[in-house]
Amino acid sequence: MSLHPITDVAGLHRHLEAAIQLEHATIPPYLTALYSIRPGTNSAALQVLRAVAVEEMLHLTLSANILNAVGGSPDLTVPGFVPAFPAYLPDGETDFEVGLRRFSTEAIDTFLKIERPAPADGESIRTVERPPRPTMLGAGKVADDSEEHFYSIGEFYRAIEDGLIRLEAEHGPELFAGDPRRQITPEFYYSGGGEIIPVTDLTSARAAIRLIAEQGEGDGGAIFDYEDEIAHYYRFQQLVLGRYYQAGDVAGSPSGLPVDVDWGAVYPIKTNARVSDYPEGSELRRAAEAFNRDYAGFLALLTGAFQGEPARLNDAMGDMFRLKDLAGQLMRQPLDAAGMEHAAPTFEV
Amino acid sequence: MTEERNDRFEVSPEAASSIAYDVAVVGSGVSGALIAKELSGRGLRVLVIEAGPSHDLTVAEYETSLRRFYGAASKDNNAPYAANANAPMPRSTDTTKLRPGEPNADGYLVQLGPLELDSTYTRVLGGTSRHWEGKALRMLPDDFALRSRFGRAADWPLGYDDLEPYYRRAEFELGVAGEVEEQDFAGLRFAPDYVYPMHGMPRSHLDRVIADDLDGLEVARDGETFALSVRGTPQARNGVPNAAYDGGRGYRPVGAVSLHQAELGERCQGNTNCTPICPVQAKYDARRTLFQALGTGRVDLLTQAVASEVHVDPASGRVTAIDYQAYADPASAEHVTGTVRADVFVLAGNAVENARLMLASGLTGSSGLVGRNLMDHAYLLTWALMPEPVGALRGPLCTSGIEDLRTGAFRRQHAAFRFGIHNDGWGWATGSPYGDLEELVDRRNTFGPALRRALVQQISRQVLMAGMIEVLPDESNRVTVDPRYRDRLGNPRPVVSFGVPPYTLEAAAFARRLSRRLYQRLGAEDHTAYHPAEPGWVSYQGEGYVLRGGNHWAGTHVMGTSPRASVVDADQRSWDHPNLFLAGAGSMASIGTSNTTLTLAALCLRSADTIAKDLETAAAPVTATAGGAGA
Repeated sequence: MSLHPITDVAGLHRHLEAAIQLEHATIPPYLTALYSIRPGTNSAALQVLRAVAVEEMLHLTLSANILNAVGGSPDLTVPGFVPAFPAYLPDGETDFEVGLRRFSTEAIDTFLKIERPAPADGESIRTVERPPRPTMLGAGKVADDSEEHFYSIGEFYRAIEDGLIRLEAEHGPELFAGDPRRQITPEFYYSGGGEIIPVTDLTSARAAIRLIAEQGEGDGGAIFDYEDEIAHYYRFQQLVLGRYYQAGDVAGSPSGLPVDVDWGAVYPIKTNARVSDYPEGSELRRAAEAFNRDYAGFLALLTGAFQGEPARLNDAMGDMFRLKDLAGQLMRQPLDAAGMEHAAPTFEV
Repeated sequence: MTEERNDRFEVSPEAASSIAYDVAVVGSGVSGALIAKELSGRGLRVLVIEAGPSHDLTVAEYETSLRRFYGAASKDNNAPYAANANAPMPRSTDTTKLRPGEPNADGYLVQLGPLELDSTYTRVLGGTSRHWEGKALRMLPDDFALRSRFGRAADWPLGYDDLEPYYRRAEFELGVAGEVEEQDFAGLRFAPDYVYPMHGMPRSHLDRVIADDLDGLEVARDGETFALSVRGTPQARNGVPNAAYDGGRGYRPVGAVSLHQAELGERCQGNTNCTPICPVQAKYDARRTLFQALGTGRVDLLTQAVASEVHVDPASGRVTAIDYQAYADPASAEHVTGTVRADVFVLAGNAVENARLMLASGLTGSSGLVGRNLMDHAYLLTWALMPEPVGALRGPLCTSGIEDLRTGAFRRQHAAFRFGIHNDGWGWATGSPYGDLEELVDRRNTFGPALRRALVQQISRQVLMAGMIEVLPDESNRVTVDPRYRDRLGNPRPVVSFGVPPYTLEAAAFARRLSRRLYQRLGAEDHTAYHPAEPGWVSYQGEGYVLRGGNHWAGTHVMGTSPRASVVDADQRSWDHPNLFLAGAGSMASIGTSNTTLTLAALCLRSADTIAKDLETAAAPVTATAGGAGA
């Protein structure tokens, strides 16, 4: 049991802000791997990475809906919102590092860790004492003044759900007094997997949390969730095991169509690249800075959408195309004459 | 290369021949897929026979088609699909200028003229919906009653109001995006409180610029005045779901088809590549419906099997069997011939293939009309440069059109037409933007920033308005077979005769004059030019025009009220063969100014009800789990 359960609305807000930050933190690593795949190759890997990245965006938006519902105000522009990569995520007794790297077995190993199913017993919320790390995400931490951390991401969400239930019992429906016009509804948002859920009460808030938890890790470790959708963990595992899962399969033994992966058909981009890796005044540096500027602008646009102007999500679509294009421009540039290493977007915002 | 079967739903030719099906459907396009889905959903056992391979049930396979298109020098309708001599398909690139008295037998179609028709269709899984654009226009109430209203052609054996509920179901199955309020013209009627499953595609910048200048412009014709209005075009493309759909239950867009989970295609991204292939599968094609049909577990799919002969019991007229030629390898003519038996047979090839198969089987119909009354829309393209960039090559191919001249008293004198406003620049007319690039690089030696600027200047100002003109049924426009022309498997190829009468040409001339006026009003430079050397060139009252085909093949088994004057009844049931349904646009008695797909979908949903009723009466009751939308 956590020593610091969520007992007040401020605490709930803080946890939900951390959830938004957490969901976002996985997107740059997934996008980096996705965009590093050479065009026209690795269709299976491309689809898996794309689907997962899109669902992380859905989770981010669902977290924003919950925060808005309980009177908070999502802000993706606060300093430190985008972690400096490599960042650390909680994983049982130890943390693990999440970096920006090319599509590779190492990257998939990390992604499997991010999405690893929590232990099936859903009651306890375990925490662990860990030394502080500068790039540890807020979502891992139980309280500001503590070195106690959540054991896993699943347990972090369980703590939020716990807090919602506790506070709703205490405050009644008033807990969900946020402006309903700030909710992102299916009109403004779509995702390939799962509908966006407008949050107006405890039931819809719990439905949103359930969707986030199960899309990532599966239902208590099951391959397919309650919507028959395959969990992220198993999506990635298909790439390693070389086959698609189909209904009736047991974990670890997919029996569907074969999955072809060409680990070599990838731009050899620099891992955790930084703007300072590119010579000052160079075209490359300007391109990397332009990407980061646009990415910051994109986060600001999302913030506007989450703060009462949902229709701005339409403008964000054009931004996403442009970011993809800019990322591609960087990744096609060799950093050395031999072309052993290529540039990459740095996501330094 | 021998193709692998997917044993979850694909049957071998041997197995297909050994099973007694309730219904056998020839063709996996919109007609066949809808009928298979409807009937299997009601517990019936269905076989779908497809001449092409079972490709594109995974995203990876779909991407192969996409890459084939990207790599193709000619971006024609069938460019994404591998050539297959066992199930050949027409390509617009085969259409050449005819010399009098000499047929053009270079492609799959044998064209006799007089008009060279560049229309095509696609013989792959999902049929021609694999290259269609996705316009989903209802026909107008007037279109069903041309004889009684305008003294032209023949009335349909059913009216708009009879078909209206099926239009709603078709709009659900195809996933149509549109706004009912914008369809308030020419007597179009919708059910109270009806909304399309999804909101209309957002208007392009070009649409808005054109609407600003043209909305309200008055056109006088035959004593009537028409105030023009730029309206959104309903289309089967995923957009924003309308929360008010189905009594407030909303609509969930259906995305990409895939045997494994791939979240893709639930929204149009505006790639401007609707025809022939949407890069993200946001456009409806019949694979979606077929996939749902296969999901019932009661549909078998037999691919790479070309239906070759329909057998009829001479006494009862009933169809007893259909033969097919099953090939393992598209690169080889080697095949086995099998026979499928079923209680009911549905030919859902398309207007040309249905007629071809009937005629190849010696079934000309007691009316003699099988293959006759071939229709298509005649397209008159007009193009111009707008004074300012208007953002060509953004959004779906067409998001708006001008619908006001789709009916009126003038239809006694000349054909009706609509203008589609194209977001893809001059592509259809001139091959832009590829041609522009070639011109700028090769002939004007432009490169670097100057090239980029020139491309923007040139391409983003392009506007094309396509006049889609009605062509009435005419018995001399027809598909026949001729033993001299056969494909690799020995099946007779379609021999096409087609011409357009003054009724259509008068409308072409009027549309061209009107387009000049519209461009003038828009301040646009008219670049339209028609050359006598082009296929489709016609001369009318001293002026030349080029007419293009619309791929809207129709009429070869027209429906009517009597076996003497039609091939099928209002249910698409053959007058001569009571257990045979000829499904699709071939049944349409006329085509008005609507792309044929939505109407043929509505007709097929209606036929499915009839077939289900037939079989319920004939056999034990079956569980009713009918699909279809309410709203």
